[in-house]
Amino acid sequence: MDLLFLLIDDMFWAAIPAVGFAMVFNVPKQMLVYCAVAGAIGHGFRTLTMQFGLPIEWASLAATTLIGFIGLYWSRKHLIPRPVFTVAAAIPMIPGSYAFATMLGLVEMNSGGFTYQLLQTVIENGLKTLFILIALSFGLAIPSVLIYRGRPIV
Amino acid sequence: MTNLAGAVPLTKQQQTDITRIAIKAGQLLQQHGAESRLIEQTTTRLGVALGAQSIELAVSADALVLTSLFEGRCITTTRKVHDRGINMQMVCDVQRICVMAEKQLLRAADVNKKLDKLKPMKYNRWLVVLMIGLSCASFSHLFGGDWWAFAVTFVASATAMFVRQELAHRHHNPFINFAVTAFIATLISSFGVIYQLGNRPDLAMAACVLLLVPGFPLINAVSDMVKGHINMGIARWTAATLLTFSVAAGIFAAMGVTNVMGWLS
Repeated sequence: MDLLFLLIDDMFWAAIPAVGFAMVFNVPKQMLVYCAVAGAIGHGFRTLTMQFGLPIEWASLAATTLIGFIGLYWSRKHLIPRPVFTVAAAIPMIPGSYAFATMLGLVEMNSGGFTYQLLQTVIENGLKTLFILIALSFGLAIPSVLIYRGRPIV
Repeated sequence: MTNLAGAVPLTKQQQTDITRIAIKAGQLLQQHGAESRLIEQTTTRLGVALGAQSIELAVSADALVLTSLFEGRCITTTRKVHDRGINMQMVCDVQRICVMAEKQLLRAADVNKKLDKLKPMKYNRWLVVLMIGLSCASFSHLFGGDWWAFAVTFVASATAMFVRQELAHRHHNPFINFAVTAFIATLISSFGVIYQLGNRPDLAMAACVLLLVPGFPLINAVSDMVKGHINMGIARWTAATLLTFSVAAGIFAAMGVTNVMGWLS
């Protein structure tokens, strides 16, 4: 029951940034609702799989693969390129805080001097950013890489 | 009237027109943030639909080079590509024109006219400010913050989005824009830490700058590299890294002013 509540809370609050960023990317109005649904499903699925102990990178890969396939269906149905839905849906999962922590660590290391603790911050956050990002965008690319293999989808 | 190859003969003028139309579509796609595979496929399909035998496109970070081939005759043209901001509605419209041309619903002149008529749609800026404020506030909630963190993040990131729009409207360099915006967002949210609002005021400082994450370029970068456009992928990745770095500089400057390290410590 707690898990269900956690999931609903998570999906609701992930749908809002998906729509917000979709508006920054000027996604057409009638497609915003798809961004919200895909964003909620993606983030919810990632939270769910992480509850079962999957590391965040693999959970991100699984979630964006799911978004990729959902986007594939919508894209064929509405004749619209897939990134229109899928990228906005993946935005709530982007490791923004890790990325900024990496860069801040670098700046701090220059101004305040080298410490092993800072080096640890930079490397750990940097690797997390890198691997989550690769997982996210590779997941979105899976339908076209595995199934379409170079043929146009729309 | 077909020749041996089964193609309708094209005059040199017609082939030139087709080349220009195809590269115009490619230019629009790249200016509004489409990934390289989509640019390549769309220009090729459009050119072939209008009668060329094949279209070869070279994509690079700031220019497109396109050659159309017909019966051993090549016509090549180059266009500079200026970034005009991500706009998915334009990408959808160009794609739709391409599909219509492929179904032979449009002739070359119609495609050209339609491409010229495309106008980027923009959402109402105050609506975007509101939604981005809510988005970053939702991030603070997802990180585990309470309603205080939510409120502080909302104010900080909505103000930051307003500043970002103002600077972008005046055509300031994006690196300067992102640094200034991050400075202001961090400055506002650090008041939450100074006055100890709520349980985790430091989360607001982390969440309020998330509107500046270059998510689209980063995702495009990796998907370009996965699909074989290594050059474009590296260019996009570098641009996104520089943007991230200028955001970090802005955050760092604000932390230096208020002497609140917030989420970094």
